[in-house]
Amino acid sequence: MSLPTLTAKEVHALFTSPIAYAVIAVFIVLSGYNFTVTLFLAKQATLVHIFFQAAIQLILLVPLITMRQFAEERRSGTLELLLTAPLREIEIVAAKFIASMVVVAAMTSLTLIYALLLAIYGQPDWGPIYSGYLGVLLLGAALVSIGLMISALTANQIVAAVVSLGLFGILWAIDTLAALLPQPFENWLLGLSLLAHFTPFAVGAMYVSDFGFFLTVVLLGLFLTVRALARG
Amino acid sequence: MAVLSLDGLSKRYGARLAVDRVSFEVREREVFGLLGPNGSGKSTILRLVTGYLRPSAGTARVAGIDVVLNGTLARRRIGYVPESAPLYGHMRVSEFLAFMGRMRGLKDQNLARAIDGAVERLGLGSVREAIIERLSHGYRQRVSVAQAVLHAPELLVLDEPSNGLDPRQIIELRGLLRQLAQNCAVLVTSHILAEIERTADRVAILLDGKLLTVEEIRQEATAAPPASRLEALFLDLTQAKAIA
Repeated sequence: MSLPTLTAKEVHALFTSPIAYAVIAVFIVLSGYNFTVTLFLAKQATLVHIFFQAAIQLILLVPLITMRQFAEERRSGTLELLLTAPLREIEIVAAKFIASMVVVAAMTSLTLIYALLLAIYGQPDWGPIYSGYLGVLLLGAALVSIGLMISALTANQIVAAVVSLGLFGILWAIDTLAALLPQPFENWLLGLSLLAHFTPFAVGAMYVSDFGFFLTVVLLGLFLTVRALARG
Repeated sequence: MAVLSLDGLSKRYGARLAVDRVSFEVREREVFGLLGPNGSGKSTILRLVTGYLRPSAGTARVAGIDVVLNGTLARRRIGYVPESAPLYGHMRVSEFLAFMGRMRGLKDQNLARAIDGAVERLGLGSVREAIIERLSHGYRQRVSVAQAVLHAPELLVLDEPSNGLDPRQIIELRGLLRQLAQNCAVLVTSHILAEIERTADRVAILLDGKLLTVEEIRQEATAAPPASRLEALFLDLTQAKAIA
């Protein structure tokens, strides 16, 4: 079983480059600023605004985590080493997915300090906080899987990052376009909207359909990444 | 017995046939050279053999195992040194070898023994704990060969291994390939006639993806100076084909 070894190598590679630290630092500074300002202005023990901001930050920052995962391996030729070792493509993809999620989980978990502060100085409703964190992680997983797929299609990190960012932006806000279309196209586009599926989690309403949506995006992204790596 | 056998192996990219029905065998403990001008299909054949690419037609078998039908099993028996020796530059040599060994199923004492053996054979003792990206090209090439022989493969495949090496390193590489061939079959490509001539037991000459001939080198070396004979044969075949 090579998955643990591969995953350890990917986590090591992510945390030996400054990108992971920069991404985590930017994430925590921006969310900390928002938490402080909103808390003093609204004086409410809630993290809803933090979850929405985290979602936007993930859209902006996940491309920086995933852009090099396959593009750099392809550019440097090391992808050839991996694909000619006795490994299956799914192991290579899974290792990079898990490693990227370690970074997403690390930066998300640092915001738990806000929940702790709310618990000390107020009486927060824990339901929306649990569902909000689940939503952030599911959104992160969906974005990582799409980012990996795009990284697997190019040898240029910048191209991978820019295309990922564009696609994330479209999927996030596609519901605004949906409003312009007649039925049933409106519903179809709404069904693809990351925002529409993330919002219930952020406000404490969890639906199986939203959970299923994110799970489907993750699995589809990973499947297409494996296909993109397929030996031509 | 053949360690590698290719039967009608072809690779098509759109309308272009990069490898056209190539068939040959590589025997145990021999160095088999693939010789041809740039773009003749040498590297593509190696990538088909190592499972990096899938053939459009034909088969490649390593120790009787089909590289497409049983890819993972076949790749366990292959050691591969890609062109330009791609490595993980941020790793130490020992760390990289341990990683590649684990990828091939080695662990614990077997892994430690394999790394010690490869480090000794490749003369990497002095750079064992060095960061790879700080190594010279010659040492990087040795590290690349070391990762390929860690698991004692039955077939060692090297793509243009002498590229970028200085003359002394090239001479060392020649000796190394002959030494490695005592334990496994070696398939090596080059576009430099003299390199193949001085290293290989047999050579296949390719042009435009087609196999033109397979020649014994060492047996005929007694009859004629290998350099001039092989060079003449190569030029003759490729020139005639190009004109036609």
